[in-house]
Amino acid sequence: MVDATTRFFEDLDRRGFEPVLAKTKGTLRFDLHEGAQTTHWLLRMDRGRVEVTQEDAEADTVVGTTPELFEDLATGRENGIAALFRGDMTVTGDARLVVQVERLFPGPPDSRGPRRRFERGMQR
Amino acid sequence: MSQSSTIRILDGNTFVVSEDTGDIEATPTEPTGLFSLDMRYLSTWVLTINGERLNALSYDDLQYYEARFFLVPGVATHYIDAKLSVIRERAVGGSFREQLTILNHDEKPVDLEIRIDAAADFADLFQVKDEILNKKGELYSEAEPDRLRLGYRRGNFKRETVICSSVPARYDRQGLAYTVHLEPNEQWDTRIDVQTMAVGPGGRDLRMGLRAHGNERLALQHDLEEWLRNAPKVNTQHEELASTYRRSLIDLAALRFSPLSLGGATLPAAGLPWFMTMFGRDSILTCLQTLPFTPQLSQTTLRILAALQGTRFDDFRDEDPGRILHEMRYGETAAFEEQPHTPYYGSVDATPLFVVLLDEYEKWTGDAALVKELEQESRAALKWVDDYADLVGNGYIWYERRNSDTGLENQCWKDSWDSVSYRDGKLPPFPRATCEVQGYAYDAKMRAARLAREFWDDPEYADRLEREAAQLKERFNRDFWVEDGEFYALALDPDGRQCDVLSSNIGHLLWSGIVDHERAEKIAQHLVGPRLFSGWGVRTLAEGEVRYNPIGYHNGTIWPFDNSFIAWGLRRYGFAEESAIIASGILDAARYFQGRLPEAFGGYPRELTKFPVEYPTACSPQAWSTGTPMLLLRTMLGLEPHEGHLAVEPRLPVGMGRIEVLDIPGRWGRVDAFARGRMEIEEPAG
Repeated sequence: MVDATTRFFEDLDRRGFEPVLAKTKGTLRFDLHEGAQTTHWLLRMDRGRVEVTQEDAEADTVVGTTPELFEDLATGRENGIAALFRGDMTVTGDARLVVQVERLFPGPPDSRGPRRRFERGMQR
Repeated sequence: MSQSSTIRILDGNTFVVSEDTGDIEATPTEPTGLFSLDMRYLSTWVLTINGERLNALSYDDLQYYEARFFLVPGVATHYIDAKLSVIRERAVGGSFREQLTILNHDEKPVDLEIRIDAAADFADLFQVKDEILNKKGELYSEAEPDRLRLGYRRGNFKRETVICSSVPARYDRQGLAYTVHLEPNEQWDTRIDVQTMAVGPGGRDLRMGLRAHGNERLALQHDLEEWLRNAPKVNTQHEELASTYRRSLIDLAALRFSPLSLGGATLPAAGLPWFMTMFGRDSILTCLQTLPFTPQLSQTTLRILAALQGTRFDDFRDEDPGRILHEMRYGETAAFEEQPHTPYYGSVDATPLFVVLLDEYEKWTGDAALVKELEQESRAALKWVDDYADLVGNGYIWYERRNSDTGLENQCWKDSWDSVSYRDGKLPPFPRATCEVQGYAYDAKMRAARLAREFWDDPEYADRLEREAAQLKERFNRDFWVEDGEFYALALDPDGRQCDVLSSNIGHLLWSGIVDHERAEKIAQHLVGPRLFSGWGVRTLAEGEVRYNPIGYHNGTIWPFDNSFIAWGLRRYGFAEESAIIASGILDAARYFQGRLPEAFGGYPRELTKFPVEYPTACSPQAWSTGTPMLLLRTMLGLEPHEGHLAVEPRLPVGMGRIEVLDIPGRWGRVDAFARGRMEIEEPAG
C-alpha cells in the first residue's frame, strides 16, 4: 500500500499545472526526520508547474517535520499553519513558499462544506 | 479596551501596554504587558529603588513606537523633596528596549538598590482577561550570569523572553538588580533589552527576522517621516480637521503590520491593542477609505488576502474554496487549534469586498498588472459568492457557521450575537442573509464586469456578471423592501421572512449601488432622520426598535467607519447635503477624541449629551476609525477617478471654510484639490 505522503507528491508531480501555485517560483524541500534517517522531497515550482524529486539538493525553503505529521497533513487530519505555529514543523528560508504549498493539502476528512438547505450536486 | 491611564507603544504586532510609571502588573481587569505574536511575554515589569515603587511626574508618548517616563521615588505626598530623578525611555521595534537613567540631585552621595521584577505568564491574547490558572504547558525561569530567560514550553511550542542589561546586573529568577553608588550630580545609565522569541526545534525563530520596517529606532523614525512626506498634505482653515488628518496618518503608520507570509510588505492591522493582526474585512474597508492618500496599502492587502484565499473545505475554520480570510492569529490557542484562527474564514463580506477593492484600486492607480495578476483569485471569489455562500438556493449570500464551538455566529460586520433581529426583538434562525452583503455582491459583480472587459479579455464573462447583477438587484428590491417602513430589511431568515428593523446597513446599500433610484431619496431621508441620526452620526440601529440601546454594541452605538461609507453612498446617489451632514457630525465628534475617532460611541442625541460618549471597551486606534476622516474628506471634496483623471466636485458645508488637499497620488501623477465651504446645511433635529 502506498502511503498518503508518496501519493501526495506523486499526484503533484503528475498534475502538470497547479493553479494554487500559479504565482509561485522557487524550490522547497521537505525533510522528514525519523531517528537518524531523513526522507527528502524536493519541489521545483515555476508558475504553476511543479516537479517533484527525492533529491537532497539545496532549496530556497527547507521544511522539517516527522513522517507521521506529514501523513496527517497529506490526509487533512492536521493543518500545516497550526503545525508551523506549534513548532511541529520548522521552516528555514523563504516562508512564503511554505504558506503557498500548505494550501495544497486537503481539508479535514470529516469536513462537509457548506450546509445547503436545498438539493444540489456537491462537487469537492 | 481603553484604560485612559495606560500607555501603549507598538511596532507591528509587538506592543507594550503599561501604567503611567512604565510598570507592568497584569491582572484580568488591567491586561497590561509586553505582547508579541498574540502572546504576553512580560506580565510583570516593576521598577523599585531601595524597595520603593516610583511615582510618575510625567510621560511623553513621543511616537507610536517610543515613550518616556519621568519618575521619582516615593508616594505623591513627598516627592517634591525627591533628590533622585529617574527616566525610563523605551521603544519597541522587533524587541523591547528600555534605557534607564538615574540622576542624584543631592549634595550627598547615595547608595541605591535598583531592582526590576520581571515575570511572564505567556497568556494567549484570547486569555488575557481571564485568570490564567491552568496553562497546559510548563513555565520556567532561568537566571544566567548575563541574562534572565523566562519561558513557556508545550510540546514543540516554545516562547521565550530574554532579558539582558548593558551594565552588568545580578539576575535571579524573579528579575534583575543593581547596587549603585552615586556621587552628587552623578548620573547612572543602563540599557535593558527584552527579546521576544518564538523558538522552533533547532532554536530557529518562527519569524525569521521578518519585520514591518527596520527595527531600530532610527529606522522607525526615518520610516515614519517618509510615510508622512509621501502622503498628500491637507491645508485647511478648519484647524481640527488638519490635526485629525495628521493624527489619522500617524495612527495608520502605527497600524501597519507585516504578516509572516509576505516578506516584509505591510497592510493595515485592525486595531490596537487587541487586533494587531490581519482581518479580511477591516483591512479591505480601511484600504477603501484610504486609497486617495495611501494607495500602497491596498496593493499589499490584495496580494496577501489572495495568497491566503481558501482552497478546501475545512469546517473548523469555516474555509471554502475562494473564500477570503476573516482573521489570522499566531498565539498558543491558534497553534493548538483551541481557536480556529490559522486562519479563520468566517466572514461573508470580505470575499465580495476583495473584488470591490481591486476595481477601486485600479481606478485610482491604473495598476493593470495587479488586476491581471489577481484574475484567478477574483474569479474564485465570485464563484464562492454564487456556489458556496448561497445556502438557501435563492441567489443571496447566507451565513451559518460550521464551527459551532469557536466560530462566529454573525459573519457580517455587526458580528455580536444579538445584532440581527426582527422588529419584535426576537433573533432569527440560521442561515441569515444580511442586506449590506447583498449590496457588496452586486457591486463586486458590476466591478468585475468592468475588469473582465478591460483587462481579462473576457467580454462574455462581463456580460454574464452584469446580467446576474441586474437580476440580483431586482430580486433584492423585491425581497428586502419593507413596505410599511419604506426601507430595506436588515436581513432575511431562511424562510424569506424579513428582519424588518431600521438599521444603518441601508447606507451601505447606497454605496454599493443596489438601491433602486426611486427609493434612494427615502433611504437618504431615513439616514438623516431623527430615528437614525443622532446629530453626531447614524446609529447602528434606529431609536424606537425593541433592541435599540444607545450603548448597544451593534444596536444603537455610532460607528465612525460605518458613517464614512454611508456618506460615500449618499454622495454616489447625489445626496451631497445629507452626506455633508453626516461628515460634519463625525468630524465634529473627532474633536472630543483629540482627532482619534474611537471604534464606536454612544447613540445618545447630540443635544442631550453635548459631547460624544465613548463606548467603554472600544479599541483605539482602530484601523477603520482611523481611515474614516480620509474617506470623509474624499466624500466632501467629491474626489472621483474618472477616465484617467481625478474629478473634483466639492460640496462643503459653510463651516468647513477652505480645504486644500495637495499631491493626491494616482494614475494622473500627483494633483491638488481645492474646496470652499459654500453649502448651507440645515442641521436636522437629532
